[in-house]
Amino acid sequence: RDSMDGGDRARARQHVFLLPEYFKDAAKKMKSGLMFVKLVNPCSGEGTIYLFNMCLQQLFEIKVFKEKHHSWFINQSVQSGGLLHFATPIDPLFLLLHYLRKADKEGKFQPLDQVVVDDMFPNCILLLKLPELEKLLQHVTEEKNPEIDKKKYYKYSKEKTIKWLEKKVNQIVAALKTNHVNVSARVQATAFFSGDQASSDKEEDYICYAHGLVSDYIPRELSDDLCKYLKLPEPSTSLPNPPSKKVKLSDEPVEAKEDYTKFNRKDWKTEKVCVSSCSGIFGSRR
Amino acid sequence: MESSDEAAVEKCRIHLRPGTLRDAPPATLHLLPCEVLVSRPAPVGRFFTPAIRQGPDGLEVSFRGRKLRGEEVVVPPGLVGYVMEEKGEGLVGKGFSEGSSNDNEQEQQELVEPPEALERDFDRFIGATASFSGFTLWGLETIPGPDAKVRGALTWPSLAAAVSRWMCPLPGPVRSSLTSSLLPRLSRILPPQWIWGFGAGEHNGAGGAWV
Repeated sequence: RDSMDGGDRARARQHVFLLPEYFKDAAKKMKSGLMFVKLVNPCSGEGTIYLFNMCLQQLFEIKVFKEKHHSWFINQSVQSGGLLHFATPIDPLFLLLHYLRKADKEGKFQPLDQVVVDDMFPNCILLLKLPELEKLLQHVTEEKNPEIDKKKYYKYSKEKTIKWLEKKVNQIVAALKTNHVNVSARVQATAFFSGDQASSDKEEDYICYAHGLVSDYIPRELSDDLCKYLKLPEPSTSLPNPPSKKVKLSDEPVEAKEDYTKFNRKDWKTEKVCVSSCSGIFGSRR
Repeated sequence: MESSDEAAVEKCRIHLRPGTLRDAPPATLHLLPCEVLVSRPAPVGRFFTPAIRQGPDGLEVSFRGRKLRGEEVVVPPGLVGYVMEEKGEGLVGKGFSEGSSNDNEQEQQELVEPPEALERDFDRFIGATASFSGFTLWGLETIPGPDAKVRGALTWPSLAAAVSRWMCPLPGPVRSSLTSSLLPRLSRILPPQWIWGFGAGEHNGAGGAWV
């Protein structure tokens, strides 16, 4: 089927993706409304690729697996890089939180369409199309409903946000346990013999790990506040954001960090999961 | 370099044609343990595929004179693999037109607003050219072990689920298929109190899963 004509001609870049199965069902009902857009990354403030599914009215983040020395054979072609992209649902509240905290500098109640405004990433208005926003915002804001117009007015609440994040952490801890994720950084000899690694993981390790996971979706300052609130041990070194969060000048996705220290809470994904934010798909066309 | 204008890139949306997800033909994928610098057509079926042997410890093949060992890796449950290409880059003739004409006019999706508001003339388009449910993972001399980073990455979707909610208000017909495909997996990942909103007649919407 694949013609080999022009064998020396470089071909279009092929992106290898894993999408939720239910996209296919949604695709039966829609002709459009699936789109990749660049939005602000609520942790780093960088532009990052997200995927809107307007039919499911859901937002997905795109993570990419990238490791040195890989390539794909796809049918009768070769694709360099060996990248593997994942689209997974993301809580849009993380992105809304970015704008709510920014607006909070003005210290007043504001309608949502005046909060979610971004010259750099104008596609942020799509966030306002997601359903159940009012319900969501109750987790992180105080609201006023002055009945002058039909609008609700919102103001960021740090107390509520921290409590909401704590619930998130508990939710993640539960998932880590059911998935039998090894969250302990200590390699214990007993694990090699007993094969029962789960028992060596202490509750605090789970909470640290979960905190690290959540910290990928919130700014550093909030992550530190949450750390204090959860009474987690202070990280031994107060590193700035790890390299994976730094400015990316190329249009290539960055690589996840490699080194792992018990106390650097942000390094949760080095051992288990090796994915990073995606920026590559938006590269300029040749 | 069509869009050297950075601002245009930030505004741009890349629309994925849903129809292409439905009709994507299956593809064969191999993840190699080496970097091939150029992306281009390659006679995989002539040189690589026929040389694959089933050895005592997994699949065996050689590439550029080096010995590779590999095994089939299955895409995690609830996910489907797709190969995507941007329209106008190599898809001339393949087209992104919604091929199947069994959509009648009443079956239009109920978008929050008409699609023309979502699609602007400076946007770009991408489509799935192929799908896959697994791929062959190759290592140099030995099969990549359980610590291989790609295996770790494949566990990411189940963790991501814990960080974000699962439920979204679903259009009716999708609901049933969702239930069958997602529920077994959900129960593995989330405690029971997060799995709701699926019950017939119940209308919890998204609220329940957010806590």
